[in-house]
Amino acid sequence: MWAAFRAVFAAIFADRAAALLLLGAPILYAVLYPSAYSGEIVIDAPVVVVDLDRSAASRDLVRRAAATSQVRLVAALASPQEAQEWLASDQASAAIIIPEGYSRAIAQGRSGNVMLVGSGAHLLRSSTALTGIGAALASTAREAAFEQARAAGPAAPPALQLVTRALFNTREGYGAAVFPGVAFVIVHQSLLLGLTLLAATAREKLGAPLRVTPAQFAGLGLAASTIAMVQVCWFAGLVFWWQDYPRAAAPLGQVLVGAALFVAATAALVLLLASLFRTRERPLQLGLAVSLPLFFLSGLTWPAAATPAPVLWLSRLFPTTPGLEVMVGLNQMGGTLADYAGALGNLAVLTAVFGGIALWRWTAPRRS
Amino acid sequence: MSFAARFGASFRREAAFLARSPWDLALLTWLPLVLCALIAWQLSAGVIRDLPVALVDTERSALSRDIAIRIEGAPGMRLAYTVPDMRAAESLARSGAVEAIVLVPPEATQRALEGRGQITLYVNAAHSAASSTIQRDMAAIIAAANARAAVEQIAAISPPGKVRPAPLAVRSLIAFNAPASQEQQLVSLLHPALLHLLFMLAVVSAFGRELRDATVAEWRPDGASIAGKAALYVLAFMVWGAGVTAYLAGFRGWALAGGPALLMTGYLAMFAAYAGVSLLLVGITRRMSQSLSLTGLYAGASFAFAGAIFPVDQASGFAKFWAEILPFTHFARLLALDWITGAPTNVAAAPLVPLGLITLVTAVPGAWLYLRASQRPEDWGKR
Repeated sequence: MWAAFRAVFAAIFADRAAALLLLGAPILYAVLYPSAYSGEIVIDAPVVVVDLDRSAASRDLVRRAAATSQVRLVAALASPQEAQEWLASDQASAAIIIPEGYSRAIAQGRSGNVMLVGSGAHLLRSSTALTGIGAALASTAREAAFEQARAAGPAAPPALQLVTRALFNTREGYGAAVFPGVAFVIVHQSLLLGLTLLAATAREKLGAPLRVTPAQFAGLGLAASTIAMVQVCWFAGLVFWWQDYPRAAAPLGQVLVGAALFVAATAALVLLLASLFRTRERPLQLGLAVSLPLFFLSGLTWPAAATPAPVLWLSRLFPTTPGLEVMVGLNQMGGTLADYAGALGNLAVLTAVFGGIALWRWTAPRRS
Repeated sequence: MSFAARFGASFRREAAFLARSPWDLALLTWLPLVLCALIAWQLSAGVIRDLPVALVDTERSALSRDIAIRIEGAPGMRLAYTVPDMRAAESLARSGAVEAIVLVPPEATQRALEGRGQITLYVNAAHSAASSTIQRDMAAIIAAANARAAVEQIAAISPPGKVRPAPLAVRSLIAFNAPASQEQQLVSLLHPALLHLLFMLAVVSAFGRELRDATVAEWRPDGASIAGKAALYVLAFMVWGAGVTAYLAGFRGWALAGGPALLMTGYLAMFAAYAGVSLLLVGITRRMSQSLSLTGLYAGASFAFAGAIFPVDQASGFAKFWAEILPFTHFARLLALDWITGAPTNVAAAPLVPLGLITLVTAVPGAWLYLRASQRPEDWGKR
């Protein structure tokens, strides 16, 4: 068993492509991927303003909107048509349009209308900009109410106020929401591609399917799990800390148990697939493009509630789906193992089924 | 032989190879179909509906019942649980049973009558798409509840004629994508994100394979035969580009604001640029396995850097640079301008310039390195 365990590591260090996939990729991606989200939250989204009222009140409103951190005023335009053109050519994410008669309406005790238009080209950026402007307008509304009250008595105060708090990702950063999940897809893909490449290479050299004893198979499984576990510790222990993502919400022991099941299911799938490939480069050709669908299937970005049921069942066949649920839950949301009993069971079943088929494929007596 | 003859011969030679090799053919046929169909199917709901929400009802009042009914009626939410305390609700959120918690605190009704009521919404910010849908719906619910309260309760305790509408009415709308559907935005970008990666894998394989198997000796490539070989893949993936556009614009009804001609030109320019990068990777490494690994590194994270979903304007200098050297970033800009906002052609076509530049600065040295390797037997057969 230990001979097989050591043979895996010797093969990795002797093969540049495998070493790049298994050792290089986790390091490179740990730097590359979070850098895309190093902005974390949307600030300074470009906004244009069309002030048709040209009054002290409207100028005050524009000044307040421009002062919010989410937006940056890039132009004052003369007509809504011009604003439309700015949005269409993607020079602005949102437009504030103040119609004529805005200040008169407020002075007469009616509602002053303001129109906010976000660009559909970038839903996240425009909705963040609209939220920021909306908050700024709320403070304008309070002062306008005060102004009106001096002349016409109190306006109807909003009886209820909505306060929104983030439950888990308290930084509300985009990277902090995405990368803690992506990291486990990287672990999965790194192990899958690196080890199947090695196995296919060995099979090519041998000219026949590889056959091992059950003890040697255990050694291979242990080696695969060790590599995956080191990668999980690298991401969950060091990279999340270094990037200051929400982490370590659950007790260490529970995180390790969850990680061990994810690692076992991944290693079992990898060993199964490793027994299928006959050409060294084939796993890379066919496996690299699967990463993006795997991430979307995991349900982190697109909620399971909006996913068709057959797609949900299919997604449960991949260790990444329950794996992300457990690991993001334990690491970022501070759940306990009991909260993820379903996903943990899912991982255990995958480990048993994939592992069983892999054992049979690797140890069945050679047909002549 | 003329350029056209060598181009055609190389094209036919590659087609004959693919006909014999089902797994290489898979990269052009069923693999793009399965991956694109899976993404399209998963996101086909478009607008997120009926997300499960837990209501923490500490008060059991008319107000909390009103909120509960409004949650049930909201398009994006569904009242999955009503629990008496936060502890139970948090546990539901952790286990993924609910996406958000709405807290109606004790004495909420009394405070609302005093004009300082507060409803707290806890969203699971680890799930960004779901949480933004819920925030939007909850804001609408509270606004509606306020409007009713203004009429029923405050009017009852205020002298007649003294109740006026709130002084500022804000109307928000999203231009070019009125239902704020994420299907159009995500699927229109995810499909080319998958296609360009598959394209690069196929082209790197096609060129790398000739060196690996030493078949360059028999192929004896020149500029025309390199172009002929790449043309087969460009053609196949142009068909996929047209197919996924027809699906989303025709079958799903997300009509193109601009024209299909510009979008297809964009696809062509993007594939040309990735063909150049592929050739350069193979030319530099001269090893199929390493150039495939590098392909994963270069094109695997394009979607994160394209700036279409999350803007890279505030990201580090490195990230901005990396985004600029990815053809997909420029294609995503063209797609937003042509498909979604319908910008004037001269504006929407601008990203074609950097795509052409990337093609030029990668294809020329790439072809030179590759042709050099094709004449040096010591560069063949490396794994």
